[in-house]
Amino acid sequence: MGIIEPGTLIFSLLGFLIIYWIIWKVAYKPLSKMMEQRRTYIEDQITSAETSSAEAQKLIEEQRALLEQARSDVREMLDSARARADEQAQGIIAKAQEEANRLLEEGRQMIERERKEAAQEVLTQVADLTVQLTTKLLRNHVTEEAQAAIVKEAERELGELVC
Amino acid sequence: MPLHPYLFYHQWYKVDLVTAGWLVVTGIAVFIMALVMRSRLDMRSPKGLQNVMEWVFEFTGGMTKDNVGSNTGRRIVAPLAFVILVYLFFSNWLGLILTIEWIPGHNISSLGVAAGTKYSLLNSPTENLNMTMALAILVWFIGHLNGLRHPWHWFKHVFIHMFPMGIIDEVLNPLTHGMRLYGNILAGEVLIEAILRIPKLLGFLPTGLPLLVIWLLYSAFVSTIQAYIFTMLVTLYIGNKDHSDTAHHVA
Repeated sequence: MGIIEPGTLIFSLLGFLIIYWIIWKVAYKPLSKMMEQRRTYIEDQITSAETSSAEAQKLIEEQRALLEQARSDVREMLDSARARADEQAQGIIAKAQEEANRLLEEGRQMIERERKEAAQEVLTQVADLTVQLTTKLLRNHVTEEAQAAIVKEAERELGELVC
Repeated sequence: MPLHPYLFYHQWYKVDLVTAGWLVVTGIAVFIMALVMRSRLDMRSPKGLQNVMEWVFEFTGGMTKDNVGSNTGRRIVAPLAFVILVYLFFSNWLGLILTIEWIPGHNISSLGVAAGTKYSLLNSPTENLNMTMALAILVWFIGHLNGLRHPWHWFKHVFIHMFPMGIIDEVLNPLTHGMRLYGNILAGEVLIEAILRIPKLLGFLPTGLPLLVIWLLYSAFVSTIQAYIFTMLVTLYIGNKDHSDTAHHVA
C-alpha cells in the first residue's frame, strides 16, 4: 500500500476544512454580501431612474399642455382685440360719415337761406325799380291807390315767380 | 515519481511533509489574498483582484445554478465550489513555480530519508493522491448527506434506478474524481523533473530549455483546467444526488 497514506489524507481533509472556513469567512461571505448589496443598489437606482423619468415625462406633458393653453389664450385675445378694433373703427367711420352729412346739410341749409334772403332783396329792389320806372312812364296817369295796387300785384307775381 | 520526506514515517498514519507543508502554504497564500481582497472591497468601482474574485464568484455560482436543482443544495454547493476552485487553482500552480531538490547527507530515519537520494521539496499539494482523494471523499459525503434530505429519492437514485450502475457509479465517481486531478498534476511535475535532468550540451547549454518552457506552459494550462474540471464535477456530483421538488436532473 505504498501510495495510500491515511495520515496525509486526514491532514489534507482537516487542512481543507480549515481553509474552507477561512475563505468562506474572509472572502466568500463579504463578497456575496457586497454583490447582493450592489444588486439591490442597482435595482434601486433603476427603479428611481424609471420613476424620475416617468415624472419628467409627466412634467413635460404638463408643460406642453400649459404652452398650448397659453398659445390658444393669446390667439383668443388677439382675435377679440382685432374684432374690437374693427368695431371701433367702424364706429369712428360711421360717426365721421354722420358728421360730414350733418355739416353738408347745414351748409346746404345756409346756402338756401342766403339764397332766399338774396332773392327777397332782389325782389324788393325789382319792385321798387319797377314802381319808379312805371311812375316815370305813367307820370300823372296813375293815382296813388292804383300804384299801390300795382306794386302789390307785382310783388305777388314776382314772389310767385321767385318761389 | 518524486520522493518526499515523511513525518511519522514508520507509522500507518505517516504524513507526506511536502504535501502537508505546501498545503499550509496554499492556505496562507489564499488567506492573504482573501484579506487583501476584503480590505479593498468596493461596491461602486471594483478593481483588479476584486474583479477576478467576482468573476470566480459568478462563474462558480453559474455552475452551481446549472447543476444543482434545489435552493438548499445551491446554498451548500456555491461556497464549496468557490473555495475549491480558488484553492485548487493555487495548489495546482504551486509546483510549477520552482523545483527544489534536496539530497540529504545522512540518513534521517524518522523522516524516511536516505542519504544520497534526491527528494523533491516543492510540489503541488494536489500531486499526492491522498490529498485529492480527501477532497473527493468529502464531496462524496456532502453529496450523499445532501441527497439524504429526501431519503426515498436518494434510495431510488442509488439502488433502484439503473440498478447495478447506480452503486458502481457511487464508488467510481469519487475515485475518478480524485485520481483525475492527482494524475494530471503528478504527470506535469514528473515530466518537469525529467526535463530538468536532460544533460546539458557541452556541460552548459541547456538543451532541455525549450521543451521545459513548452511543458511549463502546457502544465499551467492543465493546472487551470483541472481546477475547473474538479469544481465542475463537485457541482455535478452533488447536484446529481440533489432531489427536491424543483430539481431538474442533469445527466
